Amino acid sequence: MKLNSALLGAACAFAIAPAAFAERGTDGEVKLTFPQAVSIMNPYLSSGTKDIYAASMVIEPLAGFDDSGNLIPKLVSEIPTVENGGISEDLTSITWKLIPGLLWSDGSPVTSADVVFTGQYCMDPAGGCAQLSKFEGVASIEAVDETSIKVTFTGPKPNPYTAFVGATAPILQKAQFEACIGAAAPTCTDQNSMPVGTGAFKVTGFTVNDTVSMEANSNYRDPAKPAFATAVIKGGGDAEGSARAVMETGEFDYAWNTQIPPDSQAAMAAAGKGQFVVAFGTLVERLEMNMTNPSADLPEGERSTAMHPHPFLTDINVRTALSMAIDRDILREVGYGAGGKPTCNIVPAPAAYASDNTACLTQDIEGAKALLEASGWTDTDGDGIRDKDGAKLSILYQSTVNPIRQDFQALIKDWWSEIGVETELKAIDPGVFFGGDAGSPDTFQKFYADVEMYANNFDGTDPEAYLTQYKCDKAPSPENQWQGENMNRFCDPAYDAMVTELSSTRDPAKRAEMAKALNDMVTKDTRIVIPLVHRGTLSAHSNALGGVMINAWDTEMWNVADWFRVK
Amino acid sequence: MRDTQAAPLVQVEGLKMYFPVHTGILRRHTGNVKAVDDVSFAIHQGETLGLVGESGCGKSTVGRALLRLYEPTAGRVVIDGEDIATLSHEALRRKRPTMQMVFQDPQASLNPRMSLSAIIAEPLTEHTKLTAAQRQNRVYELMDQVGLNRRFANRFPHEFSGGQRQRIGIARALALNPKLIVCDEPIAALDVSIQAQVVNLLEDLQDTLGLTYLFISHDLSMVRHIADRVAVMYLGRIVELSPRDDLYARPLHPYAEALLSAVNEPDPDRAKTRKRILLKGDLPSPANPPVGCNFCTRCPKVFARCLTEKPALVQVEPGRQVACHLFETIHPATGSTGGSEAKEHLQHGVTQ
Amino acid sequence: MLTFTLRRLLLAIPTLLFISLIIFLLVDLAPGSPMSEIPLTVPPEVRQKMIAALGADQPVFVRYILWLRQFFWVEPAYLLDGWFGTDLAGDQQRILSWQSRSPVFTVIGQRIPQTLTVIGTAYLVGILIAVPIGIYSAYRQYSLFDQLGTFVAMIGFSVPTFFTGTLFIIIFAVWLGWFPTKYDTTLEVTDWASFIRQMQQMAMPVMVLGLANAAAISRYMRSSMLENMGQDYVRTARAKGMTERTVVLKHVLRNSMIPVVTVIALGIPSIFGGAIITENLFGVNGIGAALIGAIHASDLPMVQTLAFIFAVLIVGFNLIADILYGFLDPRIRYD
Ligand SMILES: Nc1ncnc2c1ncn2[C@@H]1O[C@H](COP(=O)(O)OP(=O)(O)OP(=O)(O)O)[C@@H](O)[C@H]1O
Ligand SMILES: [Mg+2]
Repeated sequence: MKLNSALLGAACAFAIAPAAFAERGTDGEVKLTFPQAVSIMNPYLSSGTKDIYAASMVIEPLAGFDDSGNLIPKLVSEIPTVENGGISEDLTSITWKLIPGLLWSDGSPVTSADVVFTGQYCMDPAGGCAQLSKFEGVASIEAVDETSIKVTFTGPKPNPYTAFVGATAPILQKAQFEACIGAAAPTCTDQNSMPVGTGAFKVTGFTVNDTVSMEANSNYRDPAKPAFATAVIKGGGDAEGSARAVMETGEFDYAWNTQIPPDSQAAMAAAGKGQFVVAFGTLVERLEMNMTNPSADLPEGERSTAMHPHPFLTDINVRTALSMAIDRDILREVGYGAGGKPTCNIVPAPAAYASDNTACLTQDIEGAKALLEASGWTDTDGDGIRDKDGAKLSILYQSTVNPIRQDFQALIKDWWSEIGVETELKAIDPGVFFGGDAGSPDTFQKFYADVEMYANNFDGTDPEAYLTQYKCDKAPSPENQWQGENMNRFCDPAYDAMVTELSSTRDPAKRAEMAKALNDMVTKDTRIVIPLVHRGTLSAHSNALGGVMINAWDTEMWNVADWFRVK
Repeated sequence: MRDTQAAPLVQVEGLKMYFPVHTGILRRHTGNVKAVDDVSFAIHQGETLGLVGESGCGKSTVGRALLRLYEPTAGRVVIDGEDIATLSHEALRRKRPTMQMVFQDPQASLNPRMSLSAIIAEPLTEHTKLTAAQRQNRVYELMDQVGLNRRFANRFPHEFSGGQRQRIGIARALALNPKLIVCDEPIAALDVSIQAQVVNLLEDLQDTLGLTYLFISHDLSMVRHIADRVAVMYLGRIVELSPRDDLYARPLHPYAEALLSAVNEPDPDRAKTRKRILLKGDLPSPANPPVGCNFCTRCPKVFARCLTEKPALVQVEPGRQVACHLFETIHPATGSTGGSEAKEHLQHGVTQ
Repeated sequence: MLTFTLRRLLLAIPTLLFISLIIFLLVDLAPGSPMSEIPLTVPPEVRQKMIAALGADQPVFVRYILWLRQFFWVEPAYLLDGWFGTDLAGDQQRILSWQSRSPVFTVIGQRIPQTLTVIGTAYLVGILIAVPIGIYSAYRQYSLFDQLGTFVAMIGFSVPTFFTGTLFIIIFAVWLGWFPTKYDTTLEVTDWASFIRQMQQMAMPVMVLGLANAAAISRYMRSSMLENMGQDYVRTARAKGMTERTVVLKHVLRNSMIPVVTVIALGIPSIFGGAIITENLFGVNGIGAALIGAIHASDLPMVQTLAFIFAVLIVGFNLIADILYGFLDPRIRYD
């Protein structure tokens, strides 16, 4: 018995190494399950993670990110840099060079024309491209020759790795999508569900919101990969069911997004059939403070606008006290278990950009009380709620309908009541909250509340665009039909200036420095945002599936070509 | 005409039909509805016994228990020499053709999803070996007998008038040449004009087929017309059983007297001398009958003994049986003979 | 009967049109936006463009008229084209799902088979279980069997399917390992082995739904039987000397089936409606799962089309139930 398991261990150890020597299609079928089913295999028409991940097994970008957030070449021979001449000295253009001899799964060659076409496809104003922001600042995309593509930007672009980088911007085959450009994009059902790609697999069957069947791409650039002959993604159900199918019944090899309550995580892991893996990206569950007055007494159009400052949240001492009263580790334990980490940052990762801001991690109720006391917030009328100059620390705290969020709300309400702050809770249907309907009073942009809680993150590894969201002019208001990401209506010229500076800084070390500073400005310096938990994506894979390297910076299937069956 | 000396076709002894009452969440058995409580009588071959009494007194129950459409609680029901109360289900089923019933509600008693001919032919299929054609002929024959147009054979019950439906019920009952037919208020649901037709039909059939009837009715004049002898029921018990003419001329039991006083007297002379006796109070619940005589709560002639002791049905005059304490005290002269006859009866085990 | 049917069908047209408008307005007014599922990383301008590309920014009546045209003209034309190779539809726009950008009817076509096999089988199983139980429970009212039947029916009624479903998964899939927890819609039954696999994957959803269906139908059956059991014509049948079997199975049952058959017929549209929870739980991904997915994603064309199809089915099966009633019960005549 002992010998056996020892041998097995050895075999496993070997199995990881010899994967490289394996032959294509010898490991049978790999089965994946997603709690949300795949709707479409074209990331340009969907921003659903499920769709992007599924498509990433079939269509690929020029470059992607590895599990530490480093750029890795996919369809190109190397990553262009200023040093190797791939990026112009003035940072206004980048030239990509395709791997010679690259083939589509249908056997035709991949050329620069395909890449150029893909750019046109997404940038067509009538197409409704979901990944348009990937092409922001792109002036032109041209084919230098058969295999070289030059992307020119409207100005210097310190981070030119946006267009054609990452699973959200894969290359489409021109021949297949030519007729699908612009307004015709949504009508190309066959193309959108069975795109021809360069990835390890190609689609053989697609049922909307149900199953994607794939087989190994016989023209994949690495002749030894993928090890699996076929792959299938079954969608639907819930996180619990997906996790169970991998961890308890062993029907599936991989389950993406298995965020289940911490106690269930432990119980399922105990079954010994698989393991949970967590991808810590940049998703942070946070409280946003409203700097403007959301009072219903104000006329419509003036509520939650810069016209009326918030009666008490504009006092930094109040915001600080609210933050101090929270025990983030309890929140993590209750809500996410291994799938979360307490944090004080809105840019919690990648490591280079994460500020060493950890002061908020220890709860300090007494300190919070003292701070409020010292700053004049006392309970003058003896009702247990602090007040000052007629303003009462009474908070309307809204979030979406979600069991974890309701737990968080209840816990935080308790802590706040300990420091003499009264809290009214409100839970809104996520469809309404995030729906952005300018006619609804319950959107997170309108922010008709004092505090709101949700999670946000940024795409890729660079936080620039994300940090831009807290600029003055990004505040939603009636003038811009309540569009904008600066929910807090935070406005600090110093912040805006630094963001502008960041956008023209190209030295990575300096950029990181500035990103941290910006992060600190909205978190520990001002407490405009009170970060709570850095959330990972919990996925599960069977012990019989080898080669999985969880990745938060790109698709979790980024290295699916290397996956193999542990025998 | 009738051979009264021969064994009667129907001999009922001590028939009881209690419906259990369940109450509470656990549906515990907490009592009984004594719908029929110790009833004995006989019906001779070719005779019509009328069974009268007010609504709810248990007439239908007697009829049904008699044919074992209910499982009687106690008692013997000998029909044509066999105690059907103890027959096995299979034997009973084979016995069924000899005894039939015409139901009170002609509409409800016919299966709404079966055509007339299917209704009449069904027992033929079950109990005879007739071919389909023979069965059809028999159906037509029966329809002729009860005066139904043959064209109606494939119609469904709801397509007939009430009177026609009752004829179907009768044809159905006749199908297997029964000896005994229990007619449970066959005319109650019908129009007066049709009532006579149906009663005449029943009489004609009796003459031609030699049938024996238990004729249940609360229409006393109709019973007077058709019955040879009449049993008067009150609250689950027979209070008087007399030949028709005797009963109508001189009812003995106070209840029978009250009941008959309400009947239109065809003879104007007698009508003048009769006064209507109005009963006070309500019929007691059969679930909770009085300890003594069942009629004691409403009897105009009630006295002490009535409240404590149930009177037995005894012969007080030749051919007349009454269950009343009066007839043992008011007529001491006849009482001795009546008494001895009553004892004789007792020995027969008619009452207990 | 024919004129009755025709008249009812004619009457159904304005009714359904009205229903379709109501559904459209309701679905449109419902909170949520097709963009609510888009991550916050997508900037608002891009969202606006995406909404415009879907046509979701058009006024509601324009969209309604377009939908009517697509539903009643374009889609049938496509269907005919598919059957006869004609070209009636040309390249007119079909009803497209906002979520998947594929024609709604293609999605429905993909989903109908598993919904019908699983939910239909469950319904059938439910009926097959319920009818004998109902009959016997009524025949032996208050017997141990009846009490047990009542108890099980109460459970079937009151315990939600997600609970029984999860319980079944834990028992039969996790502990015993008999059945898979996720339905494989791509499985094709070609031989014995694949048939067995199909049976295995159907087992749990069919049991869960069958139980729930059986609970309801057995109650109907029982009460209908009880109602008829005490009728005079049953006594007549007994008096005729018919066997107990004939009495119960021919006389009582046939009459008792009249309302039950109606209830069953009226329940059939719900088969097409799928079983949202059960489908989701077992990954059957039938119509129910499509509907709930579409509702979550505010996929208006999908929700609207499915809801309208259900309305048509409900109206249709109501008519069928009425006609069936006429056939079963000779007392009812439609002229
Ligand atoms: N199945 C039953 N269960 C319980 N009680 C019953 C049942 N059938 C009859 N009874 C009761 O038995 C008593 C006698 O009923 P029955 O039907 O014999 O009366 P009836 O004399 O035929 O009355 P009517 O003239 O109205 O037909 C009534 O009190 C009735 O409530
Ligand atoms: Mg009666």
